Amino acid sequence: MINSVHVPLRFYFILLYFRIVIGSMQTRDFDVVVIGSGIAGMTTALHAELESSEKLSIALISKIHAMRSHSVAAEGGISGVLYPVENKDSEHLHAYDTIKGSDYLADQDAVEILVKNAPKEIKFFEHLGVPWNRNRDGHINERAFGGMSVNRTAFAADKTGFFMMRALYDELTSHKGIEIFHEHMVTSLIVEKGKFLGLHMIDIATGESTFIRSGACVIATGGFSRIYDFTTTSYSSTGDGIALAYRAGLPLKDIEFVQFHPTALVPSGILITEAARGEGAYLINAEGKRFMETYAKSKMELAPRDIVSRAIVTEIEKGRGFSDRLSGLGYVHLDLRHLDQKLIDERLPMIRDISRKMLGLDPATEPLPVRPAAHFTMGGIHTNTAGNIMLGAGSGHAEGLWAVGECACVSVHGSNRLGSNSLSQCSVWGRIVGIAVARHVAHNKAGKSKIAEDKAWQEERRIEEMLSGKGSEDPYALYTELQNTMSKHLYVYRNTKGMARARKDLSRIRSRFADIYIKDKRRTYNANLRDALEIGSMVELGLLVAECALRRRESRGAHAVREYPERDDKHWLKHTIIQKGIAGCRISYMPVSITKWKPQPRVY
Amino acid sequence: MRASRFMILLYASLVGVPILLYLRIISTFYGMYLVSTVLLALASLGLIVFGVIGFAEVYIHKRHVAEEVAMPLRMQIGRQVQERTGSGTKMIDIVVNRFDNENKAMRNEVYKVEADKNTTVLSALLDIRSKQDPTLAVRYSCRMGICGSCGMVINGKPSLACETNVFDKMADHEITVEPMYGHPLLKDLVTDFDDFFERHMSVDPGLYRHDKREKYGAKEPFKLSREDIDKFLPYSYCIMCGLCLDACPVVNSNPEFIGPQALSQVYRYHADKADQKGVKRLLEVDTLDGVWGCEFAGACSKVCPKGVDPAGAIQLLKGELMKDMAKKEEG
Repeated sequence: MINSVHVPLRFYFILLYFRIVIGSMQTRDFDVVVIGSGIAGMTTALHAELESSEKLSIALISKIHAMRSHSVAAEGGISGVLYPVENKDSEHLHAYDTIKGSDYLADQDAVEILVKNAPKEIKFFEHLGVPWNRNRDGHINERAFGGMSVNRTAFAADKTGFFMMRALYDELTSHKGIEIFHEHMVTSLIVEKGKFLGLHMIDIATGESTFIRSGACVIATGGFSRIYDFTTTSYSSTGDGIALAYRAGLPLKDIEFVQFHPTALVPSGILITEAARGEGAYLINAEGKRFMETYAKSKMELAPRDIVSRAIVTEIEKGRGFSDRLSGLGYVHLDLRHLDQKLIDERLPMIRDISRKMLGLDPATEPLPVRPAAHFTMGGIHTNTAGNIMLGAGSGHAEGLWAVGECACVSVHGSNRLGSNSLSQCSVWGRIVGIAVARHVAHNKAGKSKIAEDKAWQEERRIEEMLSGKGSEDPYALYTELQNTMSKHLYVYRNTKGMARARKDLSRIRSRFADIYIKDKRRTYNANLRDALEIGSMVELGLLVAECALRRRESRGAHAVREYPERDDKHWLKHTIIQKGIAGCRISYMPVSITKWKPQPRVY
Repeated sequence: MRASRFMILLYASLVGVPILLYLRIISTFYGMYLVSTVLLALASLGLIVFGVIGFAEVYIHKRHVAEEVAMPLRMQIGRQVQERTGSGTKMIDIVVNRFDNENKAMRNEVYKVEADKNTTVLSALLDIRSKQDPTLAVRYSCRMGICGSCGMVINGKPSLACETNVFDKMADHEITVEPMYGHPLLKDLVTDFDDFFERHMSVDPGLYRHDKREKYGAKEPFKLSREDIDKFLPYSYCIMCGLCLDACPVVNSNPEFIGPQALSQVYRYHADKADQKGVKRLLEVDTLDGVWGCEFAGACSKVCPKGVDPAGAIQLLKGELMKDMAKKEEG
């Protein structure tokens, strides 16, 4: 077709092509930008919109389609004390369970905020259209979950996260103040002297760059469990937001704590929800024994995840596990066969469907092969209880920057999260931050800044160079090395030698990453470039995990070190803060906020 | 780390001691006998001390090392590199019908992939991307059939790549993968969803309540029974993967037809007792390009990976509209 066009016109087209595709960068102004479209990000955007009576312009940026964020994969439910009288429950008990589960590293003032607001959020989501499971009286049903003393997890079958996401997305479509950017990848945050000025992003579909100028930014990009190869998370859980914050000089907290979910399907790592055990499933070893009675006599399969994961790994190591011939992975059995088929179909339909489709196994008639997989990262961007991103240990907060959800470390989960507390965290802090950001913007209008625009252009050039560069390293090979190192040395059990080795290897991988080669040179849907950016984030974060983990000489929650099997409250009852230094990283510590619950031995 | 420190000292002493000895011999000629002797003595002492420390550290750590070695290799914590031979794997051909966005043309590319009984079409494609051809564009995310990213046409049928087992689909060791043609093509297997999202948005999805303050400031849960929920639950499983739109013969010949996905969502909210939009929601799709555009081919329900049954939902909507019409005529 292009041949039929007049010659001068063709030149003009080529020029136009260059202008659009190569040398251009749009500038857009927004009152608020929310990065990440999971439950945390969408809730924040919605509450900012409602608080401002739909007067703000809000950008919601997602690197995938907004309704497909990893929150859709949340299965089990959302915790909250809905019926204190009927369930013999109280907010105090919920807080105690959470703090004990966190191995006393959770900030107790934050936990109190969580338990106080969680029930309200369950009702809020119902009014957006989430079909919570009901009992015969029409009350919202609550199920048992690991580490919770009573039934307090509301659920919608085993697709809770999916229903919440769909309800939120449908709700957002009717709010015209929110502009959703599907498949846009933020590549850098522009922060000057602790003040947010804007960000640079790429439209993955077209490859065009945009500089977004704004005075308020909420990071809600989720965790980074994809640094492990055996993980329950989506391919999108790569911790981009956390890496962006780190690169912008903002501090990260407790990054060494990675939660391993005890029951992920072998060999794919697909999550089998804790609700399966909440509904009564057993964990069985090769000798046919319910081995959890050795490890947590009172709670059995419903002990917190760190304890169950360690139990499974110990059983496999002691030779009482099974082994998958194809993948070489050791596993134990999750047995649902004694459960009523009708109960499985009503409350656990998705895991039944997945096991059938992926493995050809029906959990109603056969036990499922499971082993612990990376599931959640307790650590994240250091925020205070209001969701503001802090500037360091013991200093004030950054201006115009918030973090919500898994990417933030408030911290309510301490060193080990209890199942179903994450959905409550996302929705509770989504509301808190959404309201705060709307109020902030009402009083602070963002001005134009030359520095910000220059920095955005610098970033644009960096992306250009990444694309046109002639490096020699294959990013995918580096990624495999990263995952192998993490799985080998920073899994459920860690040892000093292994962690030191991991740190060495990871810093080598990180320096090799500077010389990567991107084969796809086209700008349209350049998934190769997107992968490289994601792998860059993960390479950075993997090293930070090793740095912090190596220093913590105790076993607390998800961080279990062979040489130091005990919790050491005298020296280590403190949060790790890691921040970018002039050369390498800078590590400091800050105290844990303790209000009502003094640390006690953690026995279940 | 500690073991390697010991080794460095060992090598250092192997190299260092002869050099110092040599220096001492030479220095006698220049009358620096005393200085060089002291130097040598100090250096040797230092080497011995460091050597002992290093050795002790290795000894202490032997326990942990021994613990690691004692663990059976297969059971070890990291994922083991799989033995490639004779473990139930097969070489298969994946024929990818790629859309070349620069030349606006389709072309076939054949990739050879090693597959086992757990390989899905998506995991095979990702394997190709990371090992053979990183330029192959694929949209994916959760790999467990809930995010709705990886819709494509596999062996002629619109399916989710992550839920399609390779061995189940294999005829003559070959699988054909094409992008969905019911959506505009972007690149390779990736299609543009803007139009699809627009359709979804056009029916104003979301629970409607007259009282906004009651809606956003929910104090009490709705009074709903299990039966009330079961009425709309099957239609709320939609993951917006776009496969139904790809399969629908009507929308592919008349793009004005709103399509099965959006209409099924109209029914999802209409059937919800808590929704207060009532008949207004129905009347918005009471058009020739709305519910009446559907010719009940049923392809949408056949390809839906989540069992939503959009075709059924559209017929139910038609029924509801007829009832409403009858009511109006009576009144």
